[in-house]
Amino acid sequence: MSAPTLGRRGFLKGVLGAAAGASLAACAPGGGTSAAPSKLAAPSASASAKGTITIWNRSGDLFKVFDAAIAKFRAAYPGVTVNHQAVDIDAKLANTLISGTDVPDGSFWDDAKIGSQAEHLYDLTDLIAPHRDKVAPYKLSVNTVGGKIFGVPWDLDPGLLWYREDILQDTGVDPAAIATYDDLLSAARTVQEKNPRTKPIHLDKNPFLGQLWLEMMANQQGTSLTDAQGKLRLDSPEYRRVLGWVREVVKGGLATHAPYLEPADINTLDGGQQVFVPWAIWWSFAPQQLLKATKGKWRAMPLPAWTPGGARSGAMGGSSFVIPAKAKNPELAWLLYEFLCFTEPGCTAVYGPNSVYPGGLSTSVPAWTPALAADKPLFKPLEALGGQDLWKVAVEAAATIPAAAPIPWWWAQSVDYLGDNTQRLIEGKMTPDDVIADSAKKIQRNLIDRS
Amino acid sequence: MRSARLSPYLFIAPFFAVFAAFGVYPLLYALQLSLTRWRGAGEAHWVGLGNYLYLLTSPDFWASLGNSAVMWLLIVPVQVVAGLGAAVLLANAKLRLRGLFRVAFIAPFVTPLVAMAQVWIVVFDQDYGLVNHVLGLFGLPAVGWLTSTVWAKPTLALLFLWKTTGFAIIILLAGLQAVPGGVYEAASIDGASRWRQFWSLTVPLVRRSTAFLVVVQTLAVFQMFAEPFVVTDGGPYGSTTTAGLYLYDHITASDLGTGAANSFLLVLLVFGLSLGAVRLLRPKDGAS
Repeated sequence: MSAPTLGRRGFLKGVLGAAAGASLAACAPGGGTSAAPSKLAAPSASASAKGTITIWNRSGDLFKVFDAAIAKFRAAYPGVTVNHQAVDIDAKLANTLISGTDVPDGSFWDDAKIGSQAEHLYDLTDLIAPHRDKVAPYKLSVNTVGGKIFGVPWDLDPGLLWYREDILQDTGVDPAAIATYDDLLSAARTVQEKNPRTKPIHLDKNPFLGQLWLEMMANQQGTSLTDAQGKLRLDSPEYRRVLGWVREVVKGGLATHAPYLEPADINTLDGGQQVFVPWAIWWSFAPQQLLKATKGKWRAMPLPAWTPGGARSGAMGGSSFVIPAKAKNPELAWLLYEFLCFTEPGCTAVYGPNSVYPGGLSTSVPAWTPALAADKPLFKPLEALGGQDLWKVAVEAAATIPAAAPIPWWWAQSVDYLGDNTQRLIEGKMTPDDVIADSAKKIQRNLIDRS
Repeated sequence: MRSARLSPYLFIAPFFAVFAAFGVYPLLYALQLSLTRWRGAGEAHWVGLGNYLYLLTSPDFWASLGNSAVMWLLIVPVQVVAGLGAAVLLANAKLRLRGLFRVAFIAPFVTPLVAMAQVWIVVFDQDYGLVNHVLGLFGLPAVGWLTSTVWAKPTLALLFLWKTTGFAIIILLAGLQAVPGGVYEAASIDGASRWRQFWSLTVPLVRRSTAFLVVVQTLAVFQMFAEPFVVTDGGPYGSTTTAGLYLYDHITASDLGTGAANSFLLVLLVFGLSLGAVRLLRPKDGAS
């Protein structure tokens, strides 16, 4: 009896068939992932805690700041070794969470990104509960997905009105009198009448930052792109008010339309064309590092209000810390983040004077309200602002920032619609109603309906 | 006996194992993914052809294909003509500094794209770029090379041309050098002018190389990603969002099902275009 022969075609069919079968069986997307997020239990905050954690952070100066702060954490928890890594988080973290391979124990992340990967993160609601009364409401809301908190709120980025003190003095404009956005328009007109070459108000040319700016203005009025249920609320009096104001700025010839701190922007800032920059606190980087001719001439004040007596600030951007559901030592990562975000030594270690920033980190303020006392500054007055106490201005503005709603996972994608259309408005190609109608239709169809 | 019969298959089995793991499996996975709505976590929802229908009725999808089609028109015909011209010149043994020219043409092809893209950003900057500076010397107004919807595509196409025309020259030069010298000698004896030789001999005899070039560059243009990603990020107003970048946008948004469906539609499109190009440029008489 001869052994059955294996034909070439049969062999190939067999191999391909086996591969296809194995592939189909194994490649069911999402088959192995639980839809319910894991809840992290409170570890004992004991100095005897032991183990090693891998923590991802952004590279650059901020990494060095956190490196020094982590050294302070290790002094409090000597048994915990922190493998602190500088990583391109935007490029790597989401993919790492999805693949589940080499997942860190904790990572820095933009607030806007957390909603898109909440299912891969630990639910920190119970751990944050003892602190939630002491966290800026805005930060709690943007870290919340489906009623659960997935990020440890780190920084708060209040919007401020940056202005040229010398030019306002020369033109007789009192900054203290700029209480509403109508006042700001009047002040800009006054400046331009006396100095026609100015286009006093900065409007940003980058669609992403332009939309982030728009969200700051919306947040200042207590709204955001969606409500807590994810329903779009772009078609609202608040957004219409901001976009209408932008149109007035443009129609009045009052806008410098330049991309954030790129050469064209810096040139017009240093050249005296721009006089008012309504922007987040992190714009303080410009006079400190980039501007030469006008260094020392800029000052900050709270944003004007949209309605008399309204909030004087909104948040623009911000970051938090997340603990992946597949972290090996999530409890130890929590201890680190609790130290950095919810303790006085932790906040001081990050924001206070250090070897990287001798005057302290002045591009944001902590989200933890006990650290926000106006009379206990964490960073020093800035020479680049003529010695102004930016801390005092920032914490007073931060205290007025309203709560928001969770940032939808599709926020960054909506820039293709709302961000682009806002640019069209600034270029005079759309009206506020056009921006709202077109953006709302496209966001609903392409993003919300496909959630 | 049995082991002797099996041994050939065992020898080729490693290839099939690797092919199954890195070829068949990802393909089947992507196919299944394209029929679901899945964001990288939780349960995948079966949507059948929903992702395909969404894309086929999406103005953004068609706009991305339109952008790629315009890029193709700006790149491939120009590259074939310029590449053939340069190849003919470089094939001429009497050309002085021929080696230097060959190196000069091929240098951009081996230069990292991201570095070149950064140079493009600087050179074509509306406010401080070299190109507008030169225009200004002649009293001409500044152009938004990378910021206007009219000029962004040609500026990116120029980057692509600069980067890859060296490759086109290599392909066409190889085709030219395969043509026997005696063909031209015979044509000369028959009194054919140089121009006549080019049209009646060179062009038909490099048709196969030209077809190959068109197919490869069609694939490259419809997959073009790095150039718009680095230089314009798809802007202004989506005018440089190519098919490749549009696909990437779905993936980065964790809309993996739509991204997979988009990739299959792109494969079909590129396959169709390549087939058309090959048929159009196929030599009719078996010329090389």
